Amino acid sequence: MTTLDTVPPTTVRGARTARAWRTLTSSRTAVIGLAIVAVHVLIALLAPLLTSYDPIANDADHALLGSSWSHWAGTDQYGRDVLTRVLYGGRYALGISVTATLITVALGTVIGCAAALRGGWFDDVLGRVLDAILSIPAVLALLVVVTALGTGPAVIVLAVAIVYVPQVVRVVRGAALAVVPADYVTAARARGESTWSILRREILPNITDVVCVEFAMRASWVVLLISSLSFLGFGADPPTPDWGLMVAENRTAITVVPMASLAPIIALATLVVGLNLAADGLSKAWGVDRIREGS
Amino acid sequence: MASIVSVNSLSVAYRSGGQDVPVVHEVSLDVAEGQTHALVGESGSGKSTIAATLLGHLRHGSRITGGSVEVSGADVFALPARELRQLRGGTVAMVGQNAGHALTPSMRIGRQIAEAGGDVPVVDLLEQVRLPRPAELARRYPHELSGGQQQRVAIAMAIAARPKVLVLDEPTTGLDVITQRSVLDLIAALSDELGLAAVLVSHDLGVVAHMADEVTVLRSGRVVESATTRQLFAQPQDPYTKRLLASVPRLDDTGLAVVGEAGEREVRPRSEVPVDAPVAVSAQDITIDYGSTRAVHGVSFDVRRGEVLALVGESGSGKSTLAWSLAGLRTPSGGTMKHADGDLARPAQQRPLSLRRRVQLVFQNADTSLNPRRSVGDAVRHPLRFFGTAADRPEATERARQLIADVRLDPALADRLPAQLSGGQRQRIGIARALAGEPDVLIADEITTALDVSVQADVLRLLDDLRRERDLACLFISHDLAVVRGIADRVVVLRHGVVVEEGPTETVFTDPQHPYTRQLMAAALEPDPDAQPYVDDTADWADAADGDDIWTEHGTDGHRVRRWRPLNAPVAEGAL
Repeated sequence: MTTLDTVPPTTVRGARTARAWRTLTSSRTAVIGLAIVAVHVLIALLAPLLTSYDPIANDADHALLGSSWSHWAGTDQYGRDVLTRVLYGGRYALGISVTATLITVALGTVIGCAAALRGGWFDDVLGRVLDAILSIPAVLALLVVVTALGTGPAVIVLAVAIVYVPQVVRVVRGAALAVVPADYVTAARARGESTWSILRREILPNITDVVCVEFAMRASWVVLLISSLSFLGFGADPPTPDWGLMVAENRTAITVVPMASLAPIIALATLVVGLNLAADGLSKAWGVDRIREGS
Repeated sequence: MASIVSVNSLSVAYRSGGQDVPVVHEVSLDVAEGQTHALVGESGSGKSTIAATLLGHLRHGSRITGGSVEVSGADVFALPARELRQLRGGTVAMVGQNAGHALTPSMRIGRQIAEAGGDVPVVDLLEQVRLPRPAELARRYPHELSGGQQQRVAIAMAIAARPKVLVLDEPTTGLDVITQRSVLDLIAALSDELGLAAVLVSHDLGVVAHMADEVTVLRSGRVVESATTRQLFAQPQDPYTKRLLASVPRLDDTGLAVVGEAGEREVRPRSEVPVDAPVAVSAQDITIDYGSTRAVHGVSFDVRRGEVLALVGESGSGKSTLAWSLAGLRTPSGGTMKHADGDLARPAQQRPLSLRRRVQLVFQNADTSLNPRRSVGDAVRHPLRFFGTAADRPEATERARQLIADVRLDPALADRLPAQLSGGQRQRIGIARALAGEPDVLIADEITTALDVSVQADVLRLLDDLRRERDLACLFISHDLAVVRGIADRVVVLRHGVVVEEGPTETVFTDPQHPYTRQLMAAALEPDPDAQPYVDDTADWADAADGDDIWTEHGTDGHRVRRWRPLNAPVAEGAL
């Protein structure tokens, strides 16, 4: 009996996942974007296996070398292998970005849904507060937070959350507002269920696609923002291998060893393009899906 | 008479998954000049698709797979784009279901009508659709008009270019009985005045009987039967037509109709509510405000166990507001609502769990009442767990299957998603979900309004069975008097948040006393072209209740009427 009981929900869920996967793979943009991101993640994870150089050890004898068989992308002013640093650099960018984006989107989703569901003064006050935060330019707000609280991964994650949560709240609230008037939400309210339980059971499952697209899109912004911070000297501390930091360190020597600046730029660009493609593809694939399959 | 519209063995199909799915199959019909031809059928019968082809329109992805459509001698689908544009509006005009959606919200009425073309001045057109003070109305925006007025504006736009054919796609669905009646009368008068041929699409056999000269009954895209209206309603030939006609509730039914395979009709007597049935919910002097607007004004009623109490009224009469308030979704601003287990004047979240599960709600729109991302089994299982009526997961699953069987569905449907069920099935699941808390009060808010007539009959019968089996007190909210007559034991007629008449169903229907009740009954349309109005319409009236002297009692069975007096006559006639 127990087995029989547990099977049906999984088949329903299975069918749903299968459909989401099918529509996703039908979008070439989404597939390419996700593939690029996957390659970046793999490289970051496997960096120690891909290269034998140490990303932070100085080697004054081999400083500022051009491309060669032993150093494909040359070395920087401290004699560190540029390619190695680029490969390792993805770890910092991806790690911090993914953490920051996850926290941002999670917070934004909960607040956005709650605002849509509770309405009334809560929604009004929240809206005004968010407007106020939104009116401050992102980099400026980040710099203020970082200057006040010092650098370090935790501070940067916090700062990114403060800057981007309001935008996520806006989008998610809009999506949730379309779900809230539905009778199944009213039924849950009439049962006297808690806000959290209504959010989790009735609203979230119906806006998953919006949240996923929001995640992919925010991730690309966050990667850029964090790299800008590093470039400005508020992000990763030297000698940590980080793309933004590498560009900052090597731009003085750009005429001598252009690859030392170009390589991290290319890495950053491909990651952002990949994330953007994924966001675009996902939103189109799942948006079109609704019209085509009529659900 | 020459036919102005001629559809010749038309077939329409759309492509899905590499295959042609037929929507309309070899349908032929002719409409003579000045005649009204009705297309009747349940949802999915292809009636709207056919109507749209008269304007040369096909839904995206659909195409003509055979036959032709000729309007005024021209083959619609062979016309070049420019002539097709002239045809639309110029020769054929359409009035859709929801005029509120058809009008541009940011454009004044006058400009919108002028845009529809034609040489007739806007004010004349508004006068023609019997709108009061047309010059002033032309300067208003659509949202400033009522639903009935919006529909009149839509009609004015349709007749602006003096077309020869009017396509009416469910023109009055969603309007109140009284408004519906006046809009239909207007359309009929205009057709005569302008000599229009009309194609009327409707699922409402009452509307069709009232309006049409000829009727074509459709089912799954095929013609079931086609005849003149009088002949069709008097002697339906096809069993499907017979069943359809028999399923329509009538104002003079004394119970729910049970319809057989061949369309024979039997009225099931109402079950008697025992005299000593305990009161489940008692509401006294309820007032409910929306900001500064008073939606419900001092309404009192009792519902006893095993009894169906109907709240009847037009939209805006406050009947749904009362239901929501009872369900704990809106706190009343005055009065008391009591249940045997506690006070109902508090919002749902502040009621104890034991009280919350006792009062349950079933919704009007089965499409949005179930979470599209959760299986229907889950929808029923969750309240079982939430209210603690099932102790653990396996028991909840078992009980959910039992409940689904109780609403006469196959328990195997539990694994489906709502989108995989039909409207009637979804509505049954909605009822099963409400039953999960083992309620003794069930609030049914227009639960059959969105359903096809045969499905409506099934759902009503289910509701009637359930209240007998489970001894439920049922608050049945509806604007459809014929449905109410079949299922309710007692009726409360609401108007603008005030009760104007209440009493046992039989008494109220055989001897309606308040002019508003009589007006509602007179406006109801019976599926019979020769039907006489159920009651003679009454004269204008004014409310005459004042202070403590509110009610006129009629007999001893609780039939009472709010005091009123006829206008232009000083005597309080209701006091008799």
